[in-house]
Amino acid sequence: MTKKYKLLFVKFITALFILNGCSNSTKFTSENKDPFEKINRNVFQFNKYLDQKIISPITKTYVKKVPAKIRSGVSNHLQWMDTPHTIINSALQTDMENTILSSAKFLLNGLTLGFYDLDKGETVIKKRDFGSTLARLNVSEGPFLMVPLIGPKTTRDLTGTILDRQNMATLSSNSIDDLNLTEVPINIIDKRSKMSKTLDNIYLSADPYVKVRSFYLQNRRNEIYSKKYIENKNSDLDAEFEKLLD
Amino acid sequence: MLSLKNFWISKKISKFLNYTFLIFLIFNININKSFSDNLEMGEATIQQMIIEAQKHAIDTIKLDPNKRSLKIELLIKKYINLDFMSKATTGTFWKKASETQKEKYKAALLKQIVLTIEEHLNTLATLSYKPTISERRGKKLIYVKGRIEDPNKKKPSINLLWKLAANKNGSFLILDLEIEGISLVSSQKAEAVSILRKNKGNFDVLLNKMTRDN
Repeated sequence: MTKKYKLLFVKFITALFILNGCSNSTKFTSENKDPFEKINRNVFQFNKYLDQKIISPITKTYVKKVPAKIRSGVSNHLQWMDTPHTIINSALQTDMENTILSSAKFLLNGLTLGFYDLDKGETVIKKRDFGSTLARLNVSEGPFLMVPLIGPKTTRDLTGTILDRQNMATLSSNSIDDLNLTEVPINIIDKRSKMSKTLDNIYLSADPYVKVRSFYLQNRRNEIYSKKYIENKNSDLDAEFEKLLD
Repeated sequence: MLSLKNFWISKKISKFLNYTFLIFLIFNININKSFSDNLEMGEATIQQMIIEAQKHAIDTIKLDPNKRSLKIELLIKKYINLDFMSKATTGTFWKKASETQKEKYKAALLKQIVLTIEEHLNTLATLSYKPTISERRGKKLIYVKGRIEDPNKKKPSINLLWKLAANKNGSFLILDLEIEGISLVSSQKAEAVSILRKNKGNFDVLLNKMTRDN
């Protein structure tokens, strides 16, 4: 990375942190806290257009032409390539069990370059990224963002994604960086093929943008805060439900 | 004399305390029994619904799509509390809607649920459902947790949480379903309320948007 790009990168991360600071300091930003909704909606339309015109047709062909076994192998390999993020972030979050399990699984499946899961799904590892590490450090969620080509994120998660990429670029060699570049479009197609029914269903809803935002925030908070968040959310919902049942 | 009186009073008090304890015990046992009965009934409701859904998936596979939808609709109506869901997903705007709008919204919501279930029904038939744990929440709610698993272990398991409450007849109906922590009522509420807020509570706009593509 040249000096110019490094400086740009630092500026970008700083800007994201400042943006994060614009949000209130509560841990769970309300679903309606979307100060950039107008811009986000336009980006969502752009992403939807790209998805429907380019990604979805490619995905349909991929599912139709490529046998399920090969697709499963590709999917396993992509997950395996992602494991170092989990190892690093689990260690940063002092989750030693997850660090050890994910390291062992990474080494074991490394024998097949991750194409075949030798563990056969027996070891369940929790996916960890820098966004979740930032959450553990009590960095607030920040405003919701719809990022071109990437999709829904919060400012904290976007910062985390960029830092994860940066970590990998620092740790890995140039050849692995090149490999990563080719894997990005495959990753998109793999993820799209797994979510095709959900996405098609979302597009049919009354307000697809709000549905995506709601699904993303609920899912992400569940992943990051787990039990504590679920208990808080359920207690609030219980009170609301009981009131309606009266 | 005084000690005799004291003795008699203390005996009375002890008798009174014994009775109170006994009543409390019987009352508590009954409450606990009714709570565990409720939990069992809640679990049985979900089990029964899953069995019926899987049977439906196989039985209706060759049916005309409209007839299939109709059959699924009947099945869902039997197990969900549509009135509650409609109220819960529209918040304070529900009171402002006319009776016709309320009925139309219920129909549109049911249609959406049917569409979602239809899409996953064939997959559901090949998977197995395992109840994990159930718990009583507050005065009226029951949580039934379970997992959908692929017997061939090719697909990751999916955690489900059903929220139920008894209706006036005493049978349990589903109020909400959480799939991997994503509440369907919360998602629908976010969507409906956002549209209603933008259109000053105009239900017709929401209904148009909901029925546009169905």
